[in-house]
Amino acid sequence: MFTTSWHSVNLTANECIKCNICTSYCPVAEVTDRFPGPKYAGPQSERFRENGQPHSPDRSVDYCSGCRVCNEVCPTGVRIAEINARARAQMVAEHGIPLRNRLLGRNELLGRLGSLAPHLANRSLHNPVSRLLAEKVMGIARHAPLPRWSETGTLHHWLRRTAAHRRRAERKVVYFHGCATQYYEPFVGQAAVLVLEHLGYQVIVPPQNCCGLPLLSNGEFEAAERYHRGNVARLAGFAWAGYPIVGTSTSCTLTLKEEAPELLDRTDSGTLALKQATWDIFEFLRERAQAGELPTDFRPLGTDAEPLVLPYHAPCQYRAHRVGKPALEILSWIPGVAVRESLARCCGIAGTYGYKAEKYTIAMDVGQELFDFVRSQGPGVRLTACDSETCRWQLEHGTGIPSRHPIEVLAAAYGLYDLEGRRPVVE
Amino acid sequence: MGTPAAGSPGRIPDLLVIGAGLAGLMAAQTGADAGLSVRVVAKGMGATHWAAGTVDVLGYLPTDDTPVHHPLEAVERLPEDHPYRRVGGAPRVARGLARFQELTQALKLPYVAREDGQNWWLPSPAGAPRPAYLAPQAQARGDLERKEPLLIVGFAGLRDFYPRLIAENLARQGIQARAASLPLNLLTPRRDVNTVQLARTLDRPDPVERLGRELRALARPGERIGLPAILGLERHLWTWHRLEAITEAPVFEIPTLPPSVPGIRLFQAWQRHLLAQGVRVEMGMAAIGFQAAGDRILWVETESAARPLRHRAGRFVLATGGILGGGIAAGPDGPAREVVFGLPLAVPTERRHWFRPRFLDPAGHPLFQGGVAVDPALRPVDPRTGQTIYTNLHAAGEILAGTDSIRERSLEGIALATGAAILPAAASP
Repeated sequence: MFTTSWHSVNLTANECIKCNICTSYCPVAEVTDRFPGPKYAGPQSERFRENGQPHSPDRSVDYCSGCRVCNEVCPTGVRIAEINARARAQMVAEHGIPLRNRLLGRNELLGRLGSLAPHLANRSLHNPVSRLLAEKVMGIARHAPLPRWSETGTLHHWLRRTAAHRRRAERKVVYFHGCATQYYEPFVGQAAVLVLEHLGYQVIVPPQNCCGLPLLSNGEFEAAERYHRGNVARLAGFAWAGYPIVGTSTSCTLTLKEEAPELLDRTDSGTLALKQATWDIFEFLRERAQAGELPTDFRPLGTDAEPLVLPYHAPCQYRAHRVGKPALEILSWIPGVAVRESLARCCGIAGTYGYKAEKYTIAMDVGQELFDFVRSQGPGVRLTACDSETCRWQLEHGTGIPSRHPIEVLAAAYGLYDLEGRRPVVE
Repeated sequence: MGTPAAGSPGRIPDLLVIGAGLAGLMAAQTGADAGLSVRVVAKGMGATHWAAGTVDVLGYLPTDDTPVHHPLEAVERLPEDHPYRRVGGAPRVARGLARFQELTQALKLPYVAREDGQNWWLPSPAGAPRPAYLAPQAQARGDLERKEPLLIVGFAGLRDFYPRLIAENLARQGIQARAASLPLNLLTPRRDVNTVQLARTLDRPDPVERLGRELRALARPGERIGLPAILGLERHLWTWHRLEAITEAPVFEIPTLPPSVPGIRLFQAWQRHLLAQGVRVEMGMAAIGFQAAGDRILWVETESAARPLRHRAGRFVLATGGILGGGIAAGPDGPAREVVFGLPLAVPTERRHWFRPRFLDPAGHPLFQGGVAVDPALRPVDPRTGQTIYTNLHAAGEILAGTDSIRERSLEGIALATGAAILPAAASP
């Protein structure tokens, strides 16, 4: 198995002063007795997981959703969510892993298989009988918001189709799209490419792997490490050459920046180069804005009298970057948009957590805070915005209102993108 | 939930506050009141989440174990380098407290002072009378100088509140008190909850009605009912008033072991209030470095997942706390250091001089009296030369030298008085 070493993550347990602030903000502990809270499952149980100790005191850490709210509020800097992720890996090593979790961890494989025949895949999966079967046989919650494979081709199909129209420029940026954009929501990638080109960049989209986060969350560290090595092999060269690597999926970019290196204890130069070159797209755009290089040729998306009211939720995986809320800042510069900031802690889905039958209700209960916030913004709300794909699906599931990536909103403000139809204005 | 203030690309805030405890929030509020654009960055939640939720201004003088009754009158008896004296003495302290009281009215969490300017004596979670200058209304109802007998009610299975301990301790000190316990499932079907989760439960009408009916049956005529401080998180006043209406008795809150519901209420309401004025409070951002040119700070850097994040501003406030808050750190072998700017500290350099031999020494420990020395504008100075170090950096709260605020019971008072004094007269309108 992957051996957990005496690494800084585990050592931060010593910083815990038992103040229980994490427990007070943990969205999962608030709705269920199955999770006793971050302090208990993390730094406290860590005492029993030291070298030479046989195993965790109990299995409750499996109910940690990995949302990282605990890290955010901890006054002493304990890496609680990472301690928990390592504890789950240890549990998987000792007790094995259910087939369901193996499957959910393999987003890239699922995406690729379904994309071979997306119509067929969607029809076979997205019907009540299949979903009931999937719940009974596999434990995948039948009402959980699973995505649909793109029936108009993957992002790479679009890039090939439009290759002649793509901007060539001296300044280059690498785009990390992640599995969801490639197979389910290529339009998010299209919006990202269009915006980056609008800033004057040539966008390079090299072959890439899943970032490995679904595997890390499900405790399969060895398999995650294979993906991570693949990404280092394919992307570190760009980082060494000085190209920024920009992503639209906040959890993928967090994994490249921090989760994979930290959890997998990887300190090789390629991992480090990739970590330091990776940006969330709005983090990158804000930096461009500070340098005076963000175009402000926005067209209004509403009027002063009737603005586009846009409830915006910064996903917990985004807040874990510790870069603030750059998407919120930039969206608020667009005329005719009234951004309403959610202070909800988590939408509940937490990657693959809310797909699991035994956790679906917990995930929906956690998300209630966010759903209530969206509803409180009035009946005129047509769209919400959120940077993370699974969170958008959960938001749509919980509110019935369509959700968009902020980059789609920005692309629309530049007149490049149809926000309703989710496609470029010009192919 | 607020709407962010309209900004423009690349705009640099006038004021960056580091730390989101009471000192940092008050500094941010003071900046916003003066019309400045303000941003707050903090490593994690501040001391509001630990403390009792009262504003202690002065309970004891540094050299004296007899309690202080009139904190504002006693300010002039403090040493000259005490933060209260530094900001200009009692009038300036009173001004900071008045602004805070006015603010808590707006937050619908009003804090009250005694009319005679004396400290309240309120029951601690161990049943000891403790001095506090401003108290949330629901805590002030537990005033131990009033004569009505007390009924302390807890919940079986709640780990952070022990009614019997409180009542017995109070009774030993001649205060008429008895204890009672209610089942936890009166409030929630959960088996394992903390005080904050219970407080959220008591934002809803049904559990409040159920609790009110049980309390009404328990209380004898003339008794005041003391409960753990869990009476609502977002709708505290409503919950508290409703319980008093159902029971037809005075109901008061006693702080619990941390986390502190009264402190969290205040923090969350204040954070929303600031956000509505365009002031963002960013959590999870630990300040780790800075850049200066000569005697001006240009920017502060916070740690992030991949690279330091730069925060430029015109003026900076250091409100990172003392040893407990993490603003001052010491390794096992190194000297104590200020963690963001590496400011020189007024602390004995040699470790063996940090502590007196007895843990509860009445004179306190030199380490806790140490901190950042400041000029009258609260700008850090070199403690040896008295020279101001940076012209656009101010310090507020527990990081300041010249006070052992936990012993003095002056933690919140110093935070508010110094947080309100960060702007030199020229920058205030």
